[in-house]
Amino acid sequence: MAPACRSGTAAAATLVVAVTVWLALRGLARIPLAGAAPGPAAPLVGPRVRAWYRGLLAPLEGALVEARVHPDAVTWAQLAVSMLAGAAFWAGWLFVGGWLTIVAGTLDVLDGGVARQAGVASPRGALVDSLVDRCAEFATFLGLGAFFRDSWIVLAVAVACFGSFMVSYTRARAEGLGIDVQLGSAQRPERYLILGCGAWLSDLVAHLTCGLTGRATHVVLATAIVVLAGLSAWTALERARLAAAALRRSAP
Amino acid sequence: MTAGAWRPLGFLVLMLGFGLRLDSEWQGLATALLVCGAVAASAGLWALGREAAGGAFVPPARRR
Repeated sequence: MAPACRSGTAAAATLVVAVTVWLALRGLARIPLAGAAPGPAAPLVGPRVRAWYRGLLAPLEGALVEARVHPDAVTWAQLAVSMLAGAAFWAGWLFVGGWLTIVAGTLDVLDGGVARQAGVASPRGALVDSLVDRCAEFATFLGLGAFFRDSWIVLAVAVACFGSFMVSYTRARAEGLGIDVQLGSAQRPERYLILGCGAWLSDLVAHLTCGLTGRATHVVLATAIVVLAGLSAWTALERARLAAAALRRSAP
Repeated sequence: MTAGAWRPLGFLVLMLGFGLRLDSEWQGLATALLVCGAVAASAGLWALGREAAGGAFVPPARRR
């Protein structure tokens, strides 16, 4: 738990985040929006945000390729950062844990980009990436579970973890049967974003309000975990339904 | 490292500094991270402002 109520630091952090969001929104407005309107099963993070974030990461990606960093090293760094995030959650450092979760998600995006740009993308790299992703997610959920070990929210953490794994497993199994089911509102970037933003926002709110309420509460993070559990389960079910329908159509 | 990379890196270091300041006993490290992050983010924003103002400076000797 937080050692003290630090409303001033929380207010300063809020100001920095607000300025950054304002700059990000200015950048987002410059990204042209192409293509049709998203359907009901579209991811929460739309193509415009994805394009803006890729543009933001492009200099980092270029620097990594220039420094001859192997994509596998980025993948392993993602696992290390996720383990640090889990440890931070376990220790009750929700703000640090939240941002480390977002860094882990960013490294997950970067490794594929570096592999493609360096011309070393391979099925082996994709396999390592998928396996490390699951381990990284588990490390984060383990830390969250430890933080909420005395609360009913630990059950929501378990459901969110199971749902996240099922989202990826359903897609992998369907792809093994020749069906592409890359849809749903709780894909990997969304999961990192919901957990990461939920955690740091929760810590900010706790520090800003603890002077009034007398104690730090983490309602925001608990809500984010419950939402993630619901969205992950829904996405896994949608993917399974779509894959089953495609298999039924292709059956002789 | 390119100028564009300093902004996100500086922001990240700032956030880690704020996080340690909020929740940990490591106040010295938190202050160091806050200072480093502020310097890096400011350098990135300054580079962004220069780009927006008309591109990079070209030394007169190389001008044609």
